[in-house]
Amino acid sequence: MAEKTLVNRGIRLLILQIVLALVAGTLVLPFTWMLLASLKTLEEIGLDSWLPRVFQWHNYQDVFNMKGILFGRWYWNSIFVAAWVTFLQVFTSSLAAFSFSRLEWKGRDQIFFLYLATMMLPGLVMMIPNYQNMIMFGLVDTYPGLILPSAFSAFGTFLMRQFMMSIPKSLDEAAEIDGASKWQLYWDVVMPLARPAVVTLTIFSFMGNYNSMFWPLVMMKSLDKYTLPIGMLAFDSSQGQQTNLLMAAVAMSVIPMIIIFVFMQKQLVKGIMLGGVKG
Amino acid sequence: MGMKGKDWRNLCIGVAFITPNILGFLAFSAIPLVISFFMAFTDWNLALHNIFRNEPLKFVGFDNFVRLFGERDFLQYLGNTLFLMIGIPFGVAGSLGAALLLNCDFKAGGSRRVWLIVLLTVIMVVAVSILTLFGMGASAMSILIASVFGLVLVAGGIGGQSVYRTLFYFPCFTAGVATFILWKKLYSPENGPINHAIQPVLDVITPWASSLTPGHAALAAQVVLALTLVVTLWGFYRKLRDWRDGEVGTLSLFIGLVLLTLPLLLVWSWSPWRWSHWVFTAVAVLGWLTTFGVLIKGRSYEAVLDRGMADAVILDGLLMVIGFAFIGGANVLADLPAMAGTETGLMAPKWLADYYWAKPALLIMGFWAAIGSNNMLLYLAGLSGIPQELYEAADIDGATPFQRFWNITWPQLANVTFFILVMSIIGGLQGGFEMARTMTDNGGPAGATTTLSYYIYSEGFDTGRLGYASAVSWTLFAMVFVVTMFNWKFGNRYTQE
Repeated sequence: MAEKTLVNRGIRLLILQIVLALVAGTLVLPFTWMLLASLKTLEEIGLDSWLPRVFQWHNYQDVFNMKGILFGRWYWNSIFVAAWVTFLQVFTSSLAAFSFSRLEWKGRDQIFFLYLATMMLPGLVMMIPNYQNMIMFGLVDTYPGLILPSAFSAFGTFLMRQFMMSIPKSLDEAAEIDGASKWQLYWDVVMPLARPAVVTLTIFSFMGNYNSMFWPLVMMKSLDKYTLPIGMLAFDSSQGQQTNLLMAAVAMSVIPMIIIFVFMQKQLVKGIMLGGVKG
Repeated sequence: MGMKGKDWRNLCIGVAFITPNILGFLAFSAIPLVISFFMAFTDWNLALHNIFRNEPLKFVGFDNFVRLFGERDFLQYLGNTLFLMIGIPFGVAGSLGAALLLNCDFKAGGSRRVWLIVLLTVIMVVAVSILTLFGMGASAMSILIASVFGLVLVAGGIGGQSVYRTLFYFPCFTAGVATFILWKKLYSPENGPINHAIQPVLDVITPWASSLTPGHAALAAQVVLALTLVVTLWGFYRKLRDWRDGEVGTLSLFIGLVLLTLPLLLVWSWSPWRWSHWVFTAVAVLGWLTTFGVLIKGRSYEAVLDRGMADAVILDGLLMVIGFAFIGGANVLADLPAMAGTETGLMAPKWLADYYWAKPALLIMGFWAAIGSNNMLLYLAGLSGIPQELYEAADIDGATPFQRFWNITWPQLANVTFFILVMSIIGGLQGGFEMARTMTDNGGPAGATTTLSYYIYSEGFDTGRLGYASAVSWTLFAMVFVVTMFNWKFGNRYTQE
């Protein structure tokens, strides 16, 4: 009897493994094709076989030397813009969250509620007037114009506040008795303890911005100021028939996402649960 | 008077900390919002108001909104947006399935794990050698595909849940312009791997399909449609029964009907086949008639007006999915002989370049990304929160796996499902811009993939009709607002119950 259940369990486990592998393998197939296509010559692209005859590793180098495709530059721009947005978002959100969660002042909760309500506004509604304002201030086609509108996040404030609420209040009182100012309280006591939330917001914010397309598409006019998403768009529409190089560029452009995911997997999963279940 | 010096001090400090955020919020959200609201009531148009020609801005009242609902384009794009949201129940089901799979017991400790890996490797080797020996076409290809699956299998055998979770999640977290471009290439009618894989299969089917007479095909299609009818009516019946038992309220009954009739309308606009129209008219009319009939006759039943909202929405979502699968099958069946009878035989679809296939193509890609999405993680969290005692009690009663799922897992996950559905609907209403821009050549073919968000973009930034574009975006906002309020009211209540 016991032996039989053991065998049954083994078979169940095996079937489960195979089903999982089938699903996961199917999901990964497009990426497999992408990697192999990026190593083909252009003539081999239309063939039935996915495998290149000779691996054309130089395709990856060629992407950087294409005419009209400033791939390296776009890569840098994307990381630069996303880093700035992330820094500003984390900074302003944590300041506001600190005030909303740990300082007592009149009207605090009402303002927070009002603030939360804006989370459901579709960004689209604000896009057109925002763009008109950018024209007025002469910020079109500049990095500040690209960075500033995304630098203030109601979602980030919400996420940080939820986390800061869970830090015991007694710490504040102890620090105040020691004569700490509010700023010191924020910087030396709360922020170090809120590290998990900071990391989560950093990941979300960076990923969101690295992928964002709408605002850069509207704002950036000169080729050398493009970020990767709109750069890839330009690549596709001007020289998209060079599928092998395009696929090499696509493969390279998802690398930062993969790095973030591999190193931050646990944080990310936790963060989604923190933001999602409450949100 | 009420404020003492200390209160003032606290207020100042508190406000000082939120100042940077609030300033940005005012500058980039609040003020633009107000401007946008006023713009919606003006004739602001870049063709009339620019540096060369500066006519005074006119207030036109509700003209923009009135024009909107008379404009065929707007209605088509609204339809497209809703059509693409059909993917939501599929995606939710997919992510639930993935979460359930990942949640299965993986623990294979010590020596058993080694055996498992050995066994998996053997399976892989055998599979590859079979493929090579009996050669499924290009043998290098089969080896390649088999080794991809084999690698996944072995990696999963070693790493267990975390490996699979990573692989499942991969399509979702890399989603963006990059993967849209990748899929555009995958869908390429001549050079894409998808059609390369489909075409040989279709070539095999062609002789068989062309031997079918149109009469037989139509008959088969009608049988499938009849099945759809049965399933949908069963759904109505179940809903009515629940309502009579007081498990769902009148309001949920209506929500369900709207949800069930909406896809019918959409399919109507999409599929030109006359039989499907008849069946759907019948379903819709019957459904609405029964509902009204029961409502009038059955006043004495007392149920809270809006009870069981989440249950109702989820059940109808399920029925919607089944209905769609049947409808798609019936349409393909009915068209089969005609398509196979042409000179070229059955041809693989042109996907993004074809008016009828463009939206399904986007849905398929969406499904690929949705299986292992954030929703899967939410479901995993939800699954870990279900008390084990419930399952133990069910085991003692001798429940089958299906009963365990239907009576414990599903109801326990109901609020997660509801939350995911609502969030997906809100996202879906605003979605589709990136795909229209990246994959389908600006919302083509013939506007088949232009969603409301892309419409706003093109009106605002290409055509320059800023006032009109603002009106569209406020209409969209109104829809999102309704869904949010719905969630706020019923979502909370459901969790409390």
